[in-house]
Amino acid sequence: MVHILGIRHHGPGSAANVKRFLETVKPDIVLVEGPPDADGILQWAGHAEIKPPVAILAYQSDRIEQSLFYPFAEFSPEWQAVQYAQKKKVHVRFMDLPLAHHFALENEAAKNKNDEGTELPANEELNNSGDGLPGENEGEEIVEQIKRNPISWLSEAAGYDDPEKWWEHTFEHRVSNEEVFEAVQEAMAELRSCLPARKDRREQLREAYMRKIIRQAEKEMFQNIAVICGAWHAPALSNMPKQKDDNELLKNLPKVKVDCTWIPWTYSRLSYYSGYGAGIHSPGWYHHIWRHPNDDGTRWMAKVAKLFRERQMDTSVAHVIEAVRLAGALASLRNLSKAGLEELNEATLSVLCNGEQVLMQLVHDELIVSNRIGEVPVDIPKPPLQVDIERQQKKLRLPPTADWKDYLLDLRKENDLERSIFLHRLLLLNISWGTKSEVSGKGTFKEQWRLQWDPAFTITIIEKGALGNTLEEAANSWAIQQCEKETSLKHIAGLLEQVIPAELSRAAASIAQRINNMAALSNDIIEMVAILPGLVGIMRYGNVRKTDAEMVRAVAESLITRVCIGLPAACCGIDEDTAASLTEDCVSINQSIQLLQEQEYLTEWHNCLQQVAYQIQATALMRGFAARQLMDAKWLQGDILFQLFYSSISRSLPVAETAAWLEGFLKGSGTVLLLDDDLWQMVNGYVQHLEDEAFMQVLPLLRRTFSNFTPAEKRKMGEKVKTGGIAKKSQVISSGDFDNERAKKAIPVVMSLMGYKLD
Amino acid sequence: MSTILRSHAEQLYQQELDELKKQDNDKKPANWKLSPQSVVLYLVGGKLKNGFEISPKYIGAKRLMEIAVATLTTDRALLLYGLPGTAKSWVSEHLSAAISGDSTMIIQGTAGTSEEAIRYGWNYAKLLAEGPSEKALVETPVMRGMKEGKIVRIEELTRIGADVQDTLITILSEKALPVPELNIEVQAVRGFNIIATANNRDKGVNELSSALKRRFNTVILPVPDSMDEEIDIVKRRVESFEKVMELPAEPPALSEIRRIVTIFRELRSGITLDGKTKIKIPSGTLSTAEAISVVNNGLAMAGYFGDGQLKAADLAAGILGAVIKDPVQDSIVWKEYLETVVKPREDWKDVYRACRDLMN
Repeated sequence: MVHILGIRHHGPGSAANVKRFLETVKPDIVLVEGPPDADGILQWAGHAEIKPPVAILAYQSDRIEQSLFYPFAEFSPEWQAVQYAQKKKVHVRFMDLPLAHHFALENEAAKNKNDEGTELPANEELNNSGDGLPGENEGEEIVEQIKRNPISWLSEAAGYDDPEKWWEHTFEHRVSNEEVFEAVQEAMAELRSCLPARKDRREQLREAYMRKIIRQAEKEMFQNIAVICGAWHAPALSNMPKQKDDNELLKNLPKVKVDCTWIPWTYSRLSYYSGYGAGIHSPGWYHHIWRHPNDDGTRWMAKVAKLFRERQMDTSVAHVIEAVRLAGALASLRNLSKAGLEELNEATLSVLCNGEQVLMQLVHDELIVSNRIGEVPVDIPKPPLQVDIERQQKKLRLPPTADWKDYLLDLRKENDLERSIFLHRLLLLNISWGTKSEVSGKGTFKEQWRLQWDPAFTITIIEKGALGNTLEEAANSWAIQQCEKETSLKHIAGLLEQVIPAELSRAAASIAQRINNMAALSNDIIEMVAILPGLVGIMRYGNVRKTDAEMVRAVAESLITRVCIGLPAACCGIDEDTAASLTEDCVSINQSIQLLQEQEYLTEWHNCLQQVAYQIQATALMRGFAARQLMDAKWLQGDILFQLFYSSISRSLPVAETAAWLEGFLKGSGTVLLLDDDLWQMVNGYVQHLEDEAFMQVLPLLRRTFSNFTPAEKRKMGEKVKTGGIAKKSQVISSGDFDNERAKKAIPVVMSLMGYKLD
Repeated sequence: MSTILRSHAEQLYQQELDELKKQDNDKKPANWKLSPQSVVLYLVGGKLKNGFEISPKYIGAKRLMEIAVATLTTDRALLLYGLPGTAKSWVSEHLSAAISGDSTMIIQGTAGTSEEAIRYGWNYAKLLAEGPSEKALVETPVMRGMKEGKIVRIEELTRIGADVQDTLITILSEKALPVPELNIEVQAVRGFNIIATANNRDKGVNELSSALKRRFNTVILPVPDSMDEEIDIVKRRVESFEKVMELPAEPPALSEIRRIVTIFRELRSGITLDGKTKIKIPSGTLSTAEAISVVNNGLAMAGYFGDGQLKAADLAAGILGAVIKDPVQDSIVWKEYLETVVKPREDWKDVYRACRDLMN
């Protein structure tokens, strides 16, 4: 006896029906639509530690990018069927077309792509495709007419506008379920006979293979066979064509080697919104009705209210009562026996949210989809890299969760440092579990991370497994590979910046080597200028990180020398934009070199700046900037400085040039103008003696310069201009009629107010 | 044709209501003239079993009407919320016409609406002559609605002062209206409920207190979703206006309505329909109701001062009036729209010319 149970994938009603049916019929073998390649790992489904949602990940052993996920939720009929078989210790097998063939066919199709044009994406979720069930994408070759969902024909006939809703009300939400599978099968048979035959070879193959497995089970003398398959296939499996035809069809199929494993899955991945074509809208809701099949909406509303209360929104019990009532009224208005998600949502919107759609988004994310994540047993055979990553997750107490979680790492602590290294290594391998954000004002020893696990990372992990068996090894080899492929100095320096916090000494050494080699050959000083601050940053970082940053130091030092030699020439003949960005870079180089506190480099740098400052061909902005830096360093002083200043802003020069020089000179702060009266007189004099026309010309440039000053500086400058260039001296209070005794008494109070302790 | 300027919904659509009543077999809540299903059908339109066509009153999501009707079957009151001109009052009028057969129990909310206007007042002549008695009471629509089990409408609820609003709390939760002067109370008969409307883009409104808010289910009426929906609304309303006003003009061509709706939608959303050009958004709401009145206005112009054919020139003044609410900002917006969007459109030359003539 063969029982065909046509179901909807991930339909909680179907799951309940399947469970009930199996318990009454007591089959001796259960056949489930799924890849037979995974038969070997089916036993794990009965493991005590496995917690849905989980998925079977199947991939071609020698081409990992060719892969498929078969997700299972607790409310998936397939999962319930497998669970039943595991509990009752009866045989269970998958019966879809093996992926070994499926992948091989796809590979062939990809090869022939030139003839055809479009092809199905490789990462399609097979479990939900081509079964003619709600919300599905049907493939390309189907006749235009039935390109839409075939179920929609039935739902339309029943007067529903949404096929999904129709299916839900007809088959999923039923209270009594006698003969529901027969009804499904009849409906589908009717559909299949009315609609023009689909010429989809893959579907024919799949159904032929399903029949093959059923025949095989019969041959093995199983008496009571239960078949769980997508509703669309049900008629094709009950009316068996000749065995010979099927065998003919399945002859000589190409084959590749396929590996399978269980991985944790999330509800958000099951839903539509994850970039997958197929899925279900509301896994969280399905989970709810699976757990509480008799809920009239009260329990759900209570959940919604709890969520709102957690988010500090006042929600009273009366609200819940009213919402449940409204949902009930809506259901009866629509002639439904029970309020569905739609009614409950509308009631939530109207009663709890005062009609505001915004709050519904919260309900949607937290409850309707929900961020539940599954678990798989630790002892499932896994690629070594994944084992290593999981071991470290456990050791560092960083559990993978579907919801994001923030961590503030203090790199001075051993555990936090290791965490940071771990996360950086994952990032390097394109496993973006964590995203780093800037921490303000906490120094370089703090890092802010936000972690959110995505089950799809597993595929990346398996893919990168070829690079090494431990995370460190894999990350090292990956970085070295990348570095060898990369040809731009800037990108390689960027890679080094990624590698250093990940503590990959092998990769860092070879990257440093490559930077050195490339810098030696490169003529592009501007590019070197751009990467230098980053390198110096790494050198300083080394202290916190306890890394030996010696090789970085060597690279940075050689780069400083190269920059100092090349910069004067690089400042000539460049346009305004390049000059501006070069100046910006030089500002950070200047800071970096100051921070290094090595006299040798400082001297080298100042020599270089002096050359720039006196080089007539160099761009004015850079000259001004150089002059200012030299002045700050007391390298240029007194008369020499004035000489340089006057010659640079003398009236014979083009106005635009003098203004650019001034901009470079005053870059950063205007304080120097306020403090140095001579300088003030120079600038003031320059501006005062400008012709009207020239003044109009430089005004925008000057304004740009001055707009970068702080408001306080600007205000003081304004005052200074008003008083004719004489800065207001702070007033000294004459000490004539001063009561020293009383003043002394106030001193301790003032000191303690300012935080000093007087002994 | 009656001499009444504007008939009530229950008079205008009496035939539809009668037909609905005749074939209504579903369960009716106490004192409802129609079953909830029929009320929804009356609002969204459709065909009856005997072939009688019910015209749609609300064009938009049926879902919203279902929530509104379902709310009225529970003991919560209904608050219709939305921009001006999104058919709030229109829906409330038709709801009460269909449910109670009477849309006249209405209180217009203003800043000056007093408690007496909501609960009850006194006929002072009688009060002085006879002393306090029930005869001296002046009943408000609320009190009458409670006695007769009918739907009461409150327009612009948020314009009423907060202290006055809160007198509704007892009425809505206890369903009773005490008259302490006479030591009596009026208890609401089944079928009584309140439909309130309120604007959410208005100045000087009084937010509902959370106690009062809790007694209302809120339904937000949106601006029409699609172009076709909006054109449909404008067309239907203009047709009914023509019928009532007996205008000498010919009914407007669909293309003319389409142009008006296009202008309104584009200015409202800040982007042209093809999604290519961004536009500044004027300060007015540019609701569908305003589009309707622009067309009506244009028809009147064409009928009495033009050649009876609705032309761009007849519409221009109306459009201008609807768009330019702030004389400085909005006229810049409008000029830009005219020059960048209207001018390049080949078949819109007449609109462009008509509008520009008016601006200068």
